Amino acid sequence: MTKNILHLDLDTFFVSVERKLDSRLQGKPILVGGLSDRGVVAACSYETRGYGIHSGMPMKMAKELCPNAIRIKGNAGTYSKHSDEVTEIIKEYVPLFEKSSIDEFYADLSGMDRFFGSYKYASELRQRIIKETGLPISFGLSVNKVVSKVATGEAKPNNQLKIDYGLEKTFLAPLSIKKIPMVGDKTYQTLRNLGLRKVGTVQEMPMDVMQRVLGKNGTVIWKRANGIDHTPVIPFWERKSISNERTFDKDTIDVIKLRGLLIAMTENLAYQLRRGEKLTACIAVKIRYSDFNTYSKQMRIPYTSADHILIPKILELFKTLYNRRLLVRLIGIRFSHLVSGNYQINLFEDTEEALNLYQAMDHIRNRYGDKSVVRASAMGKNTIGRMHNPFNGQPPIVLAHRKQ
Amino acid sequence: MKFIVSSTYLLKQLQVLGGVINNSNTLPILDNFLFDLKQNKLTVSASDLETTMSSVLNVDSDNEGVIAVPARLLLETLKTFPEQPLTFVVEDNNTVEISSNHGKYALAYADGAEFPKAVELANPSSTTILGDILATAINKTIFAAGNDDLRPVMSGVFFQFSPENLTFVATDAHKLVKYQREDVSASQVAEFIMPKKPLNLLKGILAGSESDVVIEYNDSNAKFSFDDTELICRLIDGKYPNYEAVIPKENPNMLTISRNQFLSSVRRVSIFSNKTTHQIRLKIAGAELNISAEDIDYSNRAEERLTCAYQGDDMQIGFNSRFLTEMLNNLTSDEVSLEMSLPNRAGILTPSDGLDEGEHVTMLVMPVMLNS
Repeated sequence: MTKNILHLDLDTFFVSVERKLDSRLQGKPILVGGLSDRGVVAACSYETRGYGIHSGMPMKMAKELCPNAIRIKGNAGTYSKHSDEVTEIIKEYVPLFEKSSIDEFYADLSGMDRFFGSYKYASELRQRIIKETGLPISFGLSVNKVVSKVATGEAKPNNQLKIDYGLEKTFLAPLSIKKIPMVGDKTYQTLRNLGLRKVGTVQEMPMDVMQRVLGKNGTVIWKRANGIDHTPVIPFWERKSISNERTFDKDTIDVIKLRGLLIAMTENLAYQLRRGEKLTACIAVKIRYSDFNTYSKQMRIPYTSADHILIPKILELFKTLYNRRLLVRLIGIRFSHLVSGNYQINLFEDTEEALNLYQAMDHIRNRYGDKSVVRASAMGKNTIGRMHNPFNGQPPIVLAHRKQ
Repeated sequence: MKFIVSSTYLLKQLQVLGGVINNSNTLPILDNFLFDLKQNKLTVSASDLETTMSSVLNVDSDNEGVIAVPARLLLETLKTFPEQPLTFVVEDNNTVEISSNHGKYALAYADGAEFPKAVELANPSSTTILGDILATAINKTIFAAGNDDLRPVMSGVFFQFSPENLTFVATDAHKLVKYQREDVSASQVAEFIMPKKPLNLLKGILAGSESDVVIEYNDSNAKFSFDDTELICRLIDGKYPNYEAVIPKENPNMLTISRNQFLSSVRRVSIFSNKTTHQIRLKIAGAELNISAEDIDYSNRAEERLTCAYQGDDMQIGFNSRFLTEMLNNLTSDEVSLEMSLPNRAGILTPSDGLDEGEHVTMLVMPVMLNS
């Protein structure tokens, strides 16, 4: 049976939200992202695109390209609130949908044609979202996720596109290979070096040639170029790891500051674990030096979610990892191998007082926010990313250019 | 050197001793049994350097000599023989020839002098205990010992002897078992930590045994002698954690329930728990015990209600179901009681019946921290 997969994408989502909140921003060039010298552009309005600005670009460079653009720091909380509003409307319309990121949705409309017509239904949904939230949204409708996504990209801004059954290859053929999801700068260069520019050329190539050039990914890219994709619409997004990292405005060599930051991050992530009733069995520390060399080290540990076990282990990893006398640009931690469960109390190492203290602290955090109580050594490190419950089945809020 | 011995008698003894031998040895000589013949007495030893076990066998001979015979080869051969006398003759060309009713087999042997000597215990203290009691004590405790190489003291069983009683303790920091006998005692106070391997061997040999075991020990080694067998092993070095301090004294909440019913419910419910954490939740209110588990990843969920006798406040406590099943399985009583104080303090499981006079079993299980 052929499927009808709908891909919805909110146009320049962060910018649209800012415009909704402040109508003076309508029609003006806007950049959303980190404002410091190290910040990057998370979203940019269509007005700025003419200057050659794209998301993921350093803010400093964007500023030079378009000095009169309005720059906004942005607020992840506001964005996810607006994203949730859209989710609510979609949820009402479609039972089977996947929220693949903060501003993108896939919905499975298979079988709708018999009653109503998928395209008509999708158009209504789009109009309703625009009417109720005031946010521009585009969609693509096709037989699978890949073609729908590419169609949305072609429909933008604020429009819709339907690829009729059987015309997927014809639709893809004249497009640049860059439009295939998964083809980034590197792969694009490799393919260009082979003399490939249009998707149509890839379609005519034998699959094994692509495989020889790009390995496993080659097969996937070839299939995508031919409009073949069988990935299902998955309604629930399961967290495999949680992490936190920070790039400094100014590279630092202050070890006490670094350690304090690591403690703050660990404390925060451990709280997220406990709140989500999860345990971790693998912890990692990442360092990027000022010369952009990045090192990371990980360690298996018994399943835990307790601060007093995780913090010393993280610091121990940091101690072995930080061995170059260089300025540090970025530091981060990651907990993976997550399973659901609660901390198993140790007979000899855990005292009742400590356990009660943890419970009381978590209680305060649940009520007044995750930064309301912190260790003294982690105090003042309020610049670590604020994280919303990472285990609610929703995708993490990531910058557009970091999306996979 | 020549001796005659019954094949099944020899096999039986060697199979017991074979338990000492490791699968892979750094010292090749340890892959052998040491045969030490003195007229009618053949002493067979096996060792892994930590533990050495030897048995005295009665054989028909008037020779003397010491050789090391490859263990695996000999055991495999002996297993195939029906009961019959076997003649062992040491030939000049470094082989030992075994003659059976069926034919002849030659094995290369190593020089017995290469075999590491078992340590002699200097100034040992000693205690005598009935074999079956020792086997029971090991059986009741050993499952609770840990496997963590980083904390070697917890990988063994703690023997605590005093003129009043003998106490055996094992823990892995999440569960703890204390087995105490007041009907047997030692002449003086002594404490040592026995590694698991020799205890498992002793447990197998001594189950149901009516003979006395003499335990001699000093700071570094212990020796167990019974019947014609001796086992000498090195003790685990280190200080055992102060387990008495972690046993909660005041436990106002007490649950009494049929062991079998509790065990089978926990088992059933735990099938639906998370496959890694095995976490289950006990909710006790009035005379009802509610056991539940869920595996969010697969949307599996189970819940059972049992009637029980309960005195105390309503409470909710989470456990690793593996610990509970291991403990309940190890007990033999009809009824058990679970004493608790708070959801973040240990639960104490004790059998309500079926114990000998002077026998005490206390099992501790640490809960998991449930989000309130």
